[in-house]
Amino acid sequence: MSDLIVIGAGLCGLIAAYTAARAGKQVKIVTKGLGATHWHAGSIDVLGYYPDDATPVMRPLETLHDLTRARPQHPYAILDGTLSDALENFASLTRELGLPYAGAPNSGDNLWLPSPVGAARPTFPAPRAQLAGDLRRAAPMLIVGLRGMRDFYPELIAENLSKQGQRARAAFLPLDLITDRRDSNTAQLASALDDPTRRAKLAAALKQLAQPGERIGIPAILGMDAHAAALDDLQAQTGAAIFEIPTLPPSVPGVRLTNALRNHLRQLGVRVEINADVIGFHAEKDRVLWIESDASGRPLKHRAEKFLLATGGILGGGIDSDHTGKVWERVFDLPLAVPREREQWFRARFFDPAGHPIFRAGVPVNREFQPIDAQGARVYANVWAAGNLLAHADPILERSLEGLAIATGIAAARRAVK
Amino acid sequence: MHTASWHSVGMTLDECIKCNVCTTYCPVAAVTDKFPGPKYVGPQAQRFRECGQLKSPDISVDYCSACRVCNEVCPSGVKIAEINARAKAQIVADRGIPIRNWFFGRNEQLGKIGSIAPQIANLGFHNPFSRFMAEKIMGVARHAPIPHWSTAGSFGAWFRRTPRLKSDKKVVYFHGCSTNYYEPQVGKAAVAVLEHLGYQVIVPPQNCCGLPMLNNGEFRAAEKLYRSNIAKLLPYADQGLPIVGTSVSCVLVLREEASEMLDIENDETRRLRNALWDMSEWLRDLLERGELDTNFRELKMIVPYHVSCQARAHRMGRPSLDVMTLIPGLDVREGNAKCCGLAGTYGYKAEKYDIAMKVGEEAFRFVRAQGDDVRFTTSDSEICRWQLEHGTHKDCRAPIEIFAAAYGLYDLDKRRLIQK
Repeated sequence: MSDLIVIGAGLCGLIAAYTAARAGKQVKIVTKGLGATHWHAGSIDVLGYYPDDATPVMRPLETLHDLTRARPQHPYAILDGTLSDALENFASLTRELGLPYAGAPNSGDNLWLPSPVGAARPTFPAPRAQLAGDLRRAAPMLIVGLRGMRDFYPELIAENLSKQGQRARAAFLPLDLITDRRDSNTAQLASALDDPTRRAKLAAALKQLAQPGERIGIPAILGMDAHAAALDDLQAQTGAAIFEIPTLPPSVPGVRLTNALRNHLRQLGVRVEINADVIGFHAEKDRVLWIESDASGRPLKHRAEKFLLATGGILGGGIDSDHTGKVWERVFDLPLAVPREREQWFRARFFDPAGHPIFRAGVPVNREFQPIDAQGARVYANVWAAGNLLAHADPILERSLEGLAIATGIAAARRAVK
Repeated sequence: MHTASWHSVGMTLDECIKCNVCTTYCPVAAVTDKFPGPKYVGPQAQRFRECGQLKSPDISVDYCSACRVCNEVCPSGVKIAEINARAKAQIVADRGIPIRNWFFGRNEQLGKIGSIAPQIANLGFHNPFSRFMAEKIMGVARHAPIPHWSTAGSFGAWFRRTPRLKSDKKVVYFHGCSTNYYEPQVGKAAVAVLEHLGYQVIVPPQNCCGLPMLNNGEFRAAEKLYRSNIAKLLPYADQGLPIVGTSVSCVLVLREEASEMLDIENDETRRLRNALWDMSEWLRDLLERGELDTNFRELKMIVPYHVSCQARAHRMGRPSLDVMTLIPGLDVREGNAKCCGLAGTYGYKAEKYDIAMKVGEEAFRFVRAQGDDVRFTTSDSEICRWQLEHGTHKDCRAPIEIFAAAYGLYDLDKRRLIQK
């Protein structure tokens, strides 16, 4: 019997479990598979664009006041201004994990970092290895790819950056500098650079390519387990500022963060039941007594005092839909705030600055982060919800995915264990 | 709410969102580029296998070890390992089966034949010259931890020979080939524990579960075994008797893998599934119902526990761990290694032996990290036990042997029952 079961192992679930475990609770994570952290860029988006008109946000914590006033149902509004505390908590956790995160030099500003196609993406704290890519810095950029590596095109990145007024040029190095394999994905390349001799070869080649004063952007493969040492070595050996550009999945910065968090949770005694797809539950009156996950024989029961849902939204699998227009929450079939008709799911234009209504679908919660029904009444006394599952936010459009995951994960877990 | 897990393998293909989590965690792709990764040979290549194509587009699927780590981490529920197994079967159907793999599939017959004169069989096969020749001629890796035939007789013979407890409480025991011919001690420990708990043990006639054939792409032959086991076991299931197995992989095959891979799902398979239990899972169930004797004696030792991929594939939690933690003095350390590498008959193949050893390194490292005082390791799967012993030079015991020892019924060192 656990004090708290967290359902979902994305960033939100991991952070929620961490928060509860640190409060001395017996915590278990039950998850279908591994979470979205494997395809996220590793940096923490807090608020990049204002919803409705998609204006870029320069100082997210300040703009947040406007947002929460205009949208009192937005999950950020329920936090009661504890977002910066949550981010500070996360930052200190990352230092403890040996994967330190930091923000823009002018504190409170969004960072603007290059995406895998050279677009500028607004984000708030980012892993140390991404900071030198901030596009508001003046130093020219050398974007280096590895010939034969899939899905990373330095010329495309440099060209797109140049069109945005950046000074950027592209260069290639041979892939066999870092691996003998004929074919590798980014995670395998990152593991190859855990080897100091491999990265010394890479550093020597980069030094040859770079001109004085240039900062060097490389795909985010700079070590997996020995990432910190890899970054330090490469900067010391090239004498240049190095920055990682996140890649298509598997996204190594996301994998590093997941691995570090999971190792840490293990040390805190948190068991992660992976491959446990929740297919049922049992409630008496207003309390959930257990959930059941799919198994080879009979469903596996997981009992707990309290349950915290961090299963994600439509993209993450916490919410499902079908062709008839039915939309449902997958674990407890909780009431959803969702467009009534399927015709109202989408706006006509794909890139409509106001986004698509269906992506704001989610579980409405009260100020305690407990799911409520249409009348505002709490559904279960011992269920909490957090992250992308929550209604009234469009994290992809707002670029608020990780900020929401962390802040609501911490907030919901604190309320659940208090 | 559905209670049983059965979804069409083919249908899950469309759930793949190409997130690459499987390829990131695949223990085989991590150590060799001969296997491009689950996503490529699984859901991706599968699109080219449809539409009645004659030849499979990618024989690299042969390097899939079937450990199922891909299924485990997939956030979308794609049955990648099953897709791969079917692709392998298609290759075998197209091109025939190598003689070596044909032999590997016939574990039951090999066990039976070797057990006629186990000393001679061991001497004949397990000597450096024979193993060298087996590698050269057949491609059977000469250093691979292939088990010795038991020289103490088969489990079945022992069970019939010795007097047994009679009781109103009855349980059916599925021992599997490995317990019968190579590790009868495991079966004896199981019977001792079950009788200690007051159960009369029934050992019905049974066949190989079919896993070696499923893994080597011989689906038709595996189907025969599956149907034969259903016929032999179902009468007991229909009497409401639990059927427990100590081989975590046999139970997985009978409960789920065979049905899924062979696309056989009907009322009989469901009835059998509902009666089948992994031994530790069943003991944990007794515990939860308050019927397990928890009066264990102290076993003062550190035991590294390698959670085999087959045990994880059950998705039943960690029943062995749940019961082992009740034993006073026992310091069980749960490992996180993805796979021991051997994966059925994978690591027995000469071209895959090195890959299997590299995959297993994570598990071996975990055992070494627990210190030199470790006398025994433990794992639910016999395959993992043999590979762990091979890679760490420490004895590995089945959890049921540890339970038997904790009830004072079994000598872990000598690996035999304590006569009362």
